[in-house]
Amino acid sequence: MKFVCMKCETYMNFEKVEKPAEGSLGVFFGCPSCGARFTMVTNPGETQMVSSLGVQLGGRTVDAQPFEMTRGGLRAEGEGQAEMANYLKEHYSEKPAAAPAPAEGEKKTGGCPFSAVVAQMGLGASTTAGASTTSEFEWTPDALERLEKTPSFVRPMIKGGVEAYARKHDYKKITLQVMDDSKNATEGLPWAPAAEKRLENIPDFIRPMARREVERIAQERGAAVVTEAIMDEAKIKFMNFM
Amino acid sequence: MATPNLKDILGKLKYSDDAKVVQQITEQMKAVKGRMAAVRHKLVVMSGKGGVGKSMTTVNLALAFARQGHKVGVLDVDLNGPCVPQMLGMRGQRFIITPDGAIPPVGPLGMKIGSMDFFLDELSPVRWKGPMDLSPVWLGLMEMNVLREFIADIAWGEVDYLLADLPPGAAADKPPVIAGFIPDLDGAIVVTTPSAVASDVVRKSIAYARDLGIKVLGIVENMSTYRCPQCGTESELFEGDTEAMCRALDLPLLGRIPFDRTLAQSFDKGVPLIDGDYPTLKRYDEIVNRIKTLVDYKKIMATQL
Repeated sequence: MKFVCMKCETYMNFEKVEKPAEGSLGVFFGCPSCGARFTMVTNPGETQMVSSLGVQLGGRTVDAQPFEMTRGGLRAEGEGQAEMANYLKEHYSEKPAAAPAPAEGEKKTGGCPFSAVVAQMGLGASTTAGASTTSEFEWTPDALERLEKTPSFVRPMIKGGVEAYARKHDYKKITLQVMDDSKNATEGLPWAPAAEKRLENIPDFIRPMARREVERIAQERGAAVVTEAIMDEAKIKFMNFM
Repeated sequence: MATPNLKDILGKLKYSDDAKVVQQITEQMKAVKGRMAAVRHKLVVMSGKGGVGKSMTTVNLALAFARQGHKVGVLDVDLNGPCVPQMLGMRGQRFIITPDGAIPPVGPLGMKIGSMDFFLDELSPVRWKGPMDLSPVWLGLMEMNVLREFIADIAWGEVDYLLADLPPGAAADKPPVIAGFIPDLDGAIVVTTPSAVASDVVRKSIAYARDLGIKVLGIVENMSTYRCPQCGTESELFEGDTEAMCRALDLPLLGRIPFDRTLAQSFDKGVPLIDGDYPTLKRYDEIVNRIKTLVDYKKIMATQL
């Protein structure tokens, strides 16, 4: 923030900061041309806003100390929170609360309270909304069940992907096997055998990422097949990152 | 006399930072960068959803890194609900303030821990001084600067992996912004449960993080199943498909962690299970191996392809 002396058409100089009252700042400015001076005075709220930036107007006279804002800003006991602490101490027991006696219904579940809770939450029941929309394919019940378990926002994408795979392979029925096969199918560029073999040097966990990266480079070059030469290019690219 | 045109006046003047505000903010940023330069790998653990087990995941991943012989730091960035010290049996400890920075307390397996809890009394909530303490605008500004101090002022020393446990929040909240504070961040690990509600919110936080240029390394599915300690039955806690979400978001599923009551209770009591032979902890070890592979992805591609 700067102030301009409109008479002299120049910036006013920052001169000093004073504390005219608790929680208040007086920031002094002067015009280097006509000598006019004025002071901007902040209220406690404005002062606190400035201090929460972690800066001191006019610059520091001593080096910043570790955690000076955190340590200086936290309210200590006796500054308004002792009452709350006392209340919590009074109402807080170190001893664990005695376990409530099991309800009648729980006894009948064979001593597995967690299963009872899961059952009460209705998590055992599946929902069908969103999955069984019209389709040119026949989805087997177990395949449909698996699809319904996917998050709703990805369900259309997965359904579309599986059906595209089924269409490509001329399947009419979508089974769990078709779903698995579609998941493992690579829809990218063909790879030369030597390049495919070389890709095995990459740990299997990151191999799909590596495959996509190399295919991307191949596509940029307009290549129809991923060859060892493309892999060399990819390798050089990553060496440049190091 | 005509009033001078301010735009014309400003066009002729040269701006000077005589209140030294810009200079100090620049120095603050330099301090953050300088402090983080000593840390080899920086990771954040985040989720759009609360209650999915971010802190449990952060702490156990950190312990897994430490079990593999790495020097580890954990930054508990949840200012208003810090729980890492409780989980590691470190309540009541304090930073040692020195001119070179705040020395963090050391926990199990030599892990260095930074947490707001080290400034608080046992039952004290975080309350700030001054007339603006209840102003949301001021609180936001203050908390971001306190976070900056947490990143800039802790003397971590030599650390291989620093894991920051971010507070919950999605698009309009702070976590991705906090992650953006950390220079040369290796990436974010996102925690979810298989529930549809969680995955929907988590997806939004991933989109927001990506918008900010934060690399998301992968997703950890927490509370995948529950093994009843009484009857031994392993049941699904939620019906969902995190794997499908990962495919949709083009992210790797780093691993699945069951809800393990024995493990959870050990952290609740502050006496954490850290034995690497314990089955659930082995899963964290596997996740850490995958994270290391992802962090070293470029190096692996350059050397092994």
